[in-house]
Amino acid sequence: MKKYKITGLILIAFLFIVSCDNEDWLERDPKNIITDEQLWNDPQLIQSLLANYYDRLPSMHGVFNSGGMTEIDDAMWSGHFDQNWRNDFQYGNDYGRYWDYTFIRDINLALDNLNEFSTEIDANQKSLFTAELRFIRAFVYFEMVKRMGGVPLVTEQLVYDFNGDPEYLQVPRAKEYEVYDFIYNELEEIKDSLEGNNGSQTRANTFTALALESRAMLYAASIAKYNNLMDTPITLSGEEVGIPVEKADDYYEKSLTASQTILESGGYSLYNENPDKKVNFYEMLMSKNNSEVIFAKDFETSLKTHFFAFENMPRSITEDNEYPSNLTPSLNLVESFKYLDGSDGDLNITGTDGQPIVYDNLTDIFENKDARLYGTVIYPGTNFKSVPVDIQAGVADWGDSGYEFFAAQDLGARYEDGGLWTGYDGPQNNAQFVTNTGFYIRKFLSEASGASLRGVASENWWPWFRLGEIYLNAAEAAFELNQAGVAKNYINTLRERAGFPANSLENITIDDIRGERRVELAFEDHRFFDMKRWRIAHEIWDGNENNENAVVYGLYPYRIVRPGHPDNNKYIFTKIRPTRFRRARLFRLANYYSSIDQAVLNNNPKLIRNPFH
Amino acid sequence: MKKYIKIILFVFVITFTSCEKDNFDAPNALLKGQINYEGTPISVRSNSAEFELWQDGYALDEFIPVFIAQDGSYSVSLFDGEYKMVRKGGDPWLPQLNDTINIQVNGNTQYDVTVTPYFYIQNENFENVGNTINATFQINKVVEESNLQAINIVLGKSKLIDQNINDFSEEINLDQINLGSPSTVSIDIPDNLIGLEFLYIRIGVDSSSSNELIYTNVQRIDL
Repeated sequence: MKKYKITGLILIAFLFIVSCDNEDWLERDPKNIITDEQLWNDPQLIQSLLANYYDRLPSMHGVFNSGGMTEIDDAMWSGHFDQNWRNDFQYGNDYGRYWDYTFIRDINLALDNLNEFSTEIDANQKSLFTAELRFIRAFVYFEMVKRMGGVPLVTEQLVYDFNGDPEYLQVPRAKEYEVYDFIYNELEEIKDSLEGNNGSQTRANTFTALALESRAMLYAASIAKYNNLMDTPITLSGEEVGIPVEKADDYYEKSLTASQTILESGGYSLYNENPDKKVNFYEMLMSKNNSEVIFAKDFETSLKTHFFAFENMPRSITEDNEYPSNLTPSLNLVESFKYLDGSDGDLNITGTDGQPIVYDNLTDIFENKDARLYGTVIYPGTNFKSVPVDIQAGVADWGDSGYEFFAAQDLGARYEDGGLWTGYDGPQNNAQFVTNTGFYIRKFLSEASGASLRGVASENWWPWFRLGEIYLNAAEAAFELNQAGVAKNYINTLRERAGFPANSLENITIDDIRGERRVELAFEDHRFFDMKRWRIAHEIWDGNENNENAVVYGLYPYRIVRPGHPDNNKYIFTKIRPTRFRRARLFRLANYYSSIDQAVLNNNPKLIRNPFH
Repeated sequence: MKKYIKIILFVFVITFTSCEKDNFDAPNALLKGQINYEGTPISVRSNSAEFELWQDGYALDEFIPVFIAQDGSYSVSLFDGEYKMVRKGGDPWLPQLNDTINIQVNGNTQYDVTVTPYFYIQNENFENVGNTINATFQINKVVEESNLQAINIVLGKSKLIDQNINDFSEEINLDQINLGSPSTVSIDIPDNLIGLEFLYIRIGVDSSSSNELIYTNVQRIDL
């Protein structure tokens, strides 16, 4: 017994002595935590962190936000009734509020860490990553300034030192133009460091920085100019809101210079692959890696998808079993596309005698329209995915002396003469999941198999910047700088791609440029901000039920039933105001700058409220 | 049995004493009043104009919004105390952000707020002749820099009408109007409103300084 005890003791003592020696064996890297040193010295890991930050780039009605797109005058909501508030609301004081200092802090933290821990990666690579982070930060500040006005400029981490006085962490709001200047200076500083990404369309490169510069400077310039043309300019005494008018020209010049650099040396070109101009415009946003898109948010089946096609596919074509046809474009938008002969875009619905004009085919009323109309909107008589979209509201039965309109309860029903009564795709008034305006969206709507199926979904990308916008930015800036000739050439180039003849405009006005912007960039998250920076949003969307611009209208086609008459089976159209569209758009002066959240104001007493809030 | 009585008594005591602890008093004072300019009541679009009410002495500064009814009256439930009222921008009158009104609220308090509208309408009178309505009114300019942008006569079947909610609205040709002197215009009643027993009517004036109109109070006219 004694022998065993002693042996045991010796063994234990021995183990102690041996194991104590080997400290390396206990020292192990955790398998579930990546340390700062590991992260910031591994280009692969830094890239996946950047992917997260690129994914978080903010937008308002953009990145396939079907709901947001139906909240202005370009479209209305035809989806589920429980979201009909989108057709029945006024912009609240917080509409468009964006105050994302969580993201700003994440970027600042990443910049600090990159600076501190990255010792082993290539210097060029390090400066490229730094520049990309600063680009993202400038992008976020731009989103904030265009919605909130001047915001606190925080460019480093705010760390509390527990001294009892947090006052040094309370950063006041910068002046509105200081934020724009910050964006400009940042982009100017980093644009050369971004050269390593040139050629990429999903990571920021030199021309992406210039594209952001072109847009941001144009916004600053137009606020400087148009705010001060208002009878009562919107300003705060500390200039947190409102830019002095004398800065306008400088900003316009900066924007024009940036735009022209992209146009001249960017290596981009307007997409012009398909001789059919109509299809060409649609393909421009759908085919990836084309020469027009400067910067995009990419999607890929099985990896990262979006539901734009699921949400907005015409009712009869959708592959899924519920919730199609949410976003339906308005007649107002359709009419803003001009005719190719240069005349105004109003559709000829009734003749001079007050009688509806009879058309042989459904598409005839849209004949000779700007080719971009086809690329943006699915209108009656056209195809999608090579299948006809069945848009017909009902029949116009000629009784004894005039038309009587009948619409079927069931979509696709046959009328008593055996012909189609109401199409499988409506339009149907006051119904859900079928268009209420007579139109569907084509832009961004993927034709790929399974794109409208929830399990597969869409993989077409979202264009943050494309050359078409740069042409428009350049034209606007040039026009404001009294270079109407230069502006005219840019606009005419863009119009040629849309099917207009060469040099289609001889004289150019600011309204031409604004009209082009609306049709070229429809649904690309521009219109709301364009209306704001031109300071006309409160006049266009004035809440007046009799104002054609503030109300969303629809266009309903009817098949004529008049046996024995030459008009039989031809079509007439009526303009209607959809029942579901309840309230004219109302944009108040208070909406030019969103209110700051009360909790934010409580935390930082140095913040000034925005005007009217 | 005796035990049960004890428990019941205990529950009673708990119920009555605890009520004291966690209940706050409801606001017991009412502040109300009417918006006016030199004694003329001012009317607005419903759901548009707002004042801010502030109370000092608390850590966090947050205003109480005071909504103004269509006829220009307002009311708000408060606790007794001293409040500051701010006439902010965006309404059809001059913002007076630095000219705060101090109001002592004590029980039910009446306080009529004076504003400086860009324009105001007075001596309005409506007369129905056949299928037309003759409107007589006088529009006065108050703020020199402001320009007259539009005058609308609004008709409706219900009492709640303005430029945004109405059954009919007609814009009056500004050439017919002389500022500061009475004008008479006549409008035709549209087909969809003919044959009713009565209509509600008001006039709205839009100035270049604000995108909200200033109105006359709603009147009922018998047809």
